[in-house]
Amino acid sequence: MGQDEQDIPSWLLESQDYEPRRDRDGFIAQSMLSITGVLAQFRLDDGAEGRLSPSAPTKLLFALGCILLTSLSANFFFVLIMLACLLVRLCFMPAKALKRIVAVAFGAAGITFLIMLPAMFIGQSHSALLIATKVLISVGIAMTTALTTPFNRMTAALRVFHVPSLVILTIDLALKSIVRLGEIALEVLTALRLRSVGRNEDKRASIGGVGGVVFLKTNEAAQATYDAMACRGFEGEYPTPKERQWRAIDLAWLAAFALLLAAFLYLQGAM
Amino acid sequence: MHIPENYLSPETCGVMGVAMVPIWAIALKKVGREVPREKMPLLGVAAAFCFLSMMFNIPLPGGTTGHAVCGTLIAILFGPWSAVLAVSIALIIQAVFFGDGGILAIGANCFNMAFILPMVGYGIYSLITSRKDSLAGELLGAAIGSYIALNCAAICAAVEFGIQPLLFTDAAGHALYCPYPLWVSIPAMLLGHLTVAGLAEVAFTVGILAFVRKVAPDFGAQNVTGASKGAKVFAPVFALVAVLIAATPLGLLAEGDAWGEWATEDLAQMVGYTPVGLGQGWEWSAFMPDYAIGGLPDWVGYILSAVIGVALLVIIFRVAAAAMKPSVDFDR
Repeated sequence: MGQDEQDIPSWLLESQDYEPRRDRDGFIAQSMLSITGVLAQFRLDDGAEGRLSPSAPTKLLFALGCILLTSLSANFFFVLIMLACLLVRLCFMPAKALKRIVAVAFGAAGITFLIMLPAMFIGQSHSALLIATKVLISVGIAMTTALTTPFNRMTAALRVFHVPSLVILTIDLALKSIVRLGEIALEVLTALRLRSVGRNEDKRASIGGVGGVVFLKTNEAAQATYDAMACRGFEGEYPTPKERQWRAIDLAWLAAFALLLAAFLYLQGAM
Repeated sequence: MHIPENYLSPETCGVMGVAMVPIWAIALKKVGREVPREKMPLLGVAAAFCFLSMMFNIPLPGGTTGHAVCGTLIAILFGPWSAVLAVSIALIIQAVFFGDGGILAIGANCFNMAFILPMVGYGIYSLITSRKDSLAGELLGAAIGSYIALNCAAICAAVEFGIQPLLFTDAAGHALYCPYPLWVSIPAMLLGHLTVAGLAEVAFTVGILAFVRKVAPDFGAQNVTGASKGAKVFAPVFALVAVLIAATPLGLLAEGDAWGEWATEDLAQMVGYTPVGLGQGWEWSAFMPDYAIGGLPDWVGYILSAVIGVALLVIIFRVAAAAMKPSVDFDR
């Protein structure tokens, strides 16, 4: 025993009462929170297709058509019909998606209303309401479409409409990179936080480091992605999906759009 | 019973608005305790019942119209403070989007229909059910409670109308706002509400309550059967909402305006002069004033208003539920 005690250096036997001094790590926490928030949003976009959802191309057409009709309509009644349809659709959205759509769409409509507020004072209160409602509907439709369509289906749908491959490739890779790089940034920030025991005066200097690491990783990831795609025979061409994407329910949606179009034309004529 | 813009003096509106602030604050605090998070969306559906029942106008003796409110129904199903909140939100949507009831008068309207009505109705209901604990007792309590509650709310509205000419007149002795004093407004309001409108309120409350208790006993703050919480259990209730929406144009059959809700020109014809406050008052331009749009048949506007109103209520309460903190009980 005595021999062992001699082997252990004396400094190891001293009891330690080290308490790290309080340190502010607000910027790390903030950055981590915002990155996590962005990533969580992408998770949400995995796309919850409803049972009655049309196929992606039909949905895209339907949404664009509805937004177009709403913005072209000079008749308030048609805009209210669209509003009623949108609100009913929102009633059946999952709670998380509903919360986001309501926040964004009503926020956008509120800002529009504020901008249009001077119109109320010169007696044009109707147009202020009309435009705010149109913004609410357009943003609501766009958000609903985005949140109910899985991302890969959306790119496939774009291809059906002969959007150039390069555009789709860029969108596709950009979105995937955002998720991947977000995760990397989160890892680097976590590492920085774990290593910053006690007061770390140098922390602010590491912002550049975090950015640098993420940038280097970006280069690596881009190269790796390109190599992987080349290995799988990618030649810069996105093939149009061979099997028909259309479903039977699409006909019902197209019929619904035809009805809306008829209502639009009738109400425009009735003005 | 919706008091329109400028029928009450801004002073009265201010007092009623200030009176409602602490009531709303208490209601917001209590609703989290009365209603569990997963039941909040259902409170939106109950508020939709209230919104829809107010769209069914019923002809009253004397050429005016009235409507049910269903505040007692919500108080029975979800608790009185939830009813305060649900009816208030329904009233605010009606005022802002459909011009039914004044924006400045929101405080007064909420005090009558969203505070007095559910509180009185629930008080009488619990008094009766504490003596007689069966479905028949419950329905009896709901019937008596809702009848008396609606009339209490009508008396409050009548008093608010009636004190205007006593307090606010110009040099010529003409009323500035509502021209009918207490001894005209109280009998006029009560005549309609003691007879037809009260019975309509009883029919709506007891009818919907009996339906809900039979087909979806879990629709309410309490879980009676302990069955699954899926939306399918409540499908019959949602179907009832859809049927009520489709039936709202029936409210157009009643000719004439509700007592105290005339247009300014009509009122000027009736009393022989235009009260200054009414003639020069501020007017909010609603989305669809009187649930109608120029140039189209009234029933289309009515159904569209019902759909928009109900959807808005459901969305508001679903978003509120999503924003509430989950109360997980780890001991269970």
